[in-house]
Amino acid sequence: MTSRAKLLTVLVLVIVAAGALYLNALMHRLRSERAQPTEASARTKLAEASLHAQNAPQESVTLFFPSNDQGVLLQETRQLSLAASDTDRIRQIFLALLEGSAQGHGAPIPAGAELRSAFLAADGTAYLDLAAGALPLFEPGIGTETLAVYSIVDSMCYNIPSVKRVKFLIQGQEVETLDGHVDLTEAFVPDTSLKPSTP
Amino acid sequence: MGSVAKDGCKLKDLIGAFRRHSRSAFTAGLGILLGAGALLWWTRPLRSDNFVFYLPAARDVLPVRTLGETSYLPLVGVLNLVGKVDALRESSNKLSLWYGDNTLEVRDNNRKVTLNKTSLKLSEPVRFVNGQWLVPVDFLSVVLPRLVKEPIEYRAGDKRIFIGSAKPATFAVRLESLANGARVRVEFTSPLTFQTAARDGKWILYLGDRAIEPLEQKFDFDNPYVSDLRFDDQDGVPKLILTPKTSGLDLYPALEEGGKVLRADILKPAAPATGQATGAAAQSAGPGQAGGAEGPAALPQRPTLPVVVLDAGHGGSDSGAQGPNGVLEKNLVAQIVVRVRTALLATQKYRVILTRMGDTDPDFDQRAIVADTAHAAVFISFHAGNLGFRSPRVAVYTFQPPGGGSTFDPLAPRPLLMPWNEAQTPHLAESQKLAQALEEQLSRLSEIQSGPIQPAPVRVLRSVDAPAIAIEVGSLEPNTDPAPLLDSQFQQKIASAIVSALDAFEGGVS
Repeated sequence: MTSRAKLLTVLVLVIVAAGALYLNALMHRLRSERAQPTEASARTKLAEASLHAQNAPQESVTLFFPSNDQGVLLQETRQLSLAASDTDRIRQIFLALLEGSAQGHGAPIPAGAELRSAFLAADGTAYLDLAAGALPLFEPGIGTETLAVYSIVDSMCYNIPSVKRVKFLIQGQEVETLDGHVDLTEAFVPDTSLKPSTP
Repeated sequence: MGSVAKDGCKLKDLIGAFRRHSRSAFTAGLGILLGAGALLWWTRPLRSDNFVFYLPAARDVLPVRTLGETSYLPLVGVLNLVGKVDALRESSNKLSLWYGDNTLEVRDNNRKVTLNKTSLKLSEPVRFVNGQWLVPVDFLSVVLPRLVKEPIEYRAGDKRIFIGSAKPATFAVRLESLANGARVRVEFTSPLTFQTAARDGKWILYLGDRAIEPLEQKFDFDNPYVSDLRFDDQDGVPKLILTPKTSGLDLYPALEEGGKVLRADILKPAAPATGQATGAAAQSAGPGQAGGAEGPAALPQRPTLPVVVLDAGHGGSDSGAQGPNGVLEKNLVAQIVVRVRTALLATQKYRVILTRMGDTDPDFDQRAIVADTAHAAVFISFHAGNLGFRSPRVAVYTFQPPGGGSTFDPLAPRPLLMPWNEAQTPHLAESQKLAQALEEQLSRLSEIQSGPIQPAPVRVLRSVDAPAIAIEVGSLEPNTDPAPLLDSQFQQKIASAIVSALDAFEGGVS
């Protein structure tokens, strides 16, 4: 084998090795990356819910967003054309929380968490049925899960008077915890202690 | 005189001969001593014990060799117990094994084990002693889980391992006073059978075929009738060994509650005139019942040490929160729990029970069962998560029912049976006091952020029938450096704060 042929062989081997390493890294990245649905998709869903209230006047809605640093829920108001039915309002509040805070507070509901259905029982219990894929998207931890849950519960109960408590379901089923910490086996009533005394 | 002179000559000859050969005799003696010493050094198993393997359909024991401070197991023996070694090749200081689809290589005096070209590191080097390849016991947690498909339950430091899906039962022990004796109640998590024997002045209660993992190995009693109760399965047969304080006492064992409670009454024989020394009479004697005028009055007992149950969150396939560089909540909290356990045991004021053994994930009810069957004085659950940018930080939580208030009236008599999911409710006020005691200790640590105490619907606290709190350290999340949480001084400070808090909590738990 000539020296030129040897050189070519080595070059080909190096290229193949580099390609293999790149492919490996790419596969690893694909495996480790979670699907991150865009904010645009959340806005689309919000718009879909708002279709029910095209002719309704805008109302001031109070939302509660988590602050992990302070361990509290921070209040934020925004204008929404609320739908006539409470079930649609529940969906609207959920999507508004999913859209996130305009003031840079924490996100109670991770992007990609899908609300499969919502309904309100006669006793004032709002049932929120999340898709199974939503659970692993929540940040695990006692503090983070508590704030996330009460962000939703408090926002629902504050803005929709007929909602007295909120029960979370996953794929239509009751689950034990949100992500290993907070108890979801019971319906939640609002927790006013999580709000700072001065909003 | 002649014979004396003759004897004197013999003595002189001997002394002369000794002087002539003293150097070589000394050298030979030293050589023999060193040779024997070296032989003993290389072959010294300082202590020998057994290791019990609980397999899906069988159980077996292997001898444990202790070299220095490390416990070793025979490598080939272990692999042949849990499966079958297909082939092996031994070279000068290397052993290659083919085990199913796996290839395993170990070297003498080397901590590195190569499994299918993956390098794994043991805590101590592999040893080749007396023609036998020995691996340190942590081989069971480092290498074995990669070799077998069944789940493995092994608690570091124990001499038993459970392989397969069958969950071992465990038990809690309680001592009660009787008028003429003592009653030991052993409450198991699963029903079992027993057989009784007596040997060397002790009673042995064989616990049948059920795999059993004790949370504690030995229970010492300060009682005039019974000295201690010890669990033993060194021969592969689980049993309880009960040691009476004096001879001449009778044992009346019986199963209750469908086989989940083993009641053992140790009674002083009644005087013949009273005619009460029958098994039936002995077994019907209850706590506080008068047992006849002849029986000695039960002496006041020193209460047994209060039980502190430490719960390391998550485990097994549930890693919990994740930080950068592969730092997992389940491992971090297990580290902290070990430090807290050590600090508590050093006080000699508490018995400490852990809810999880090694890298396992008992469900929430199993964790509560550990506390409730042990009649825990205190339950502390450990977690890690995102607590914002101020790190290190410690948050203390008490249980808050998601549905708000409870119908439980703290002034009303406690019902005989509490609903399982409301077991924590009667203890909420005590839990708050415990949390305050800990928060006070944590607030003294200037380098650690803490407070305020937060009520939260923490699932694991819900069914704990004792003062219970959860502690979360942070921040453990992908964008925060976890180094402050891994720092041994930080973990030690938490352990010390907990010890001080328990001391301060109602003047020490009882």
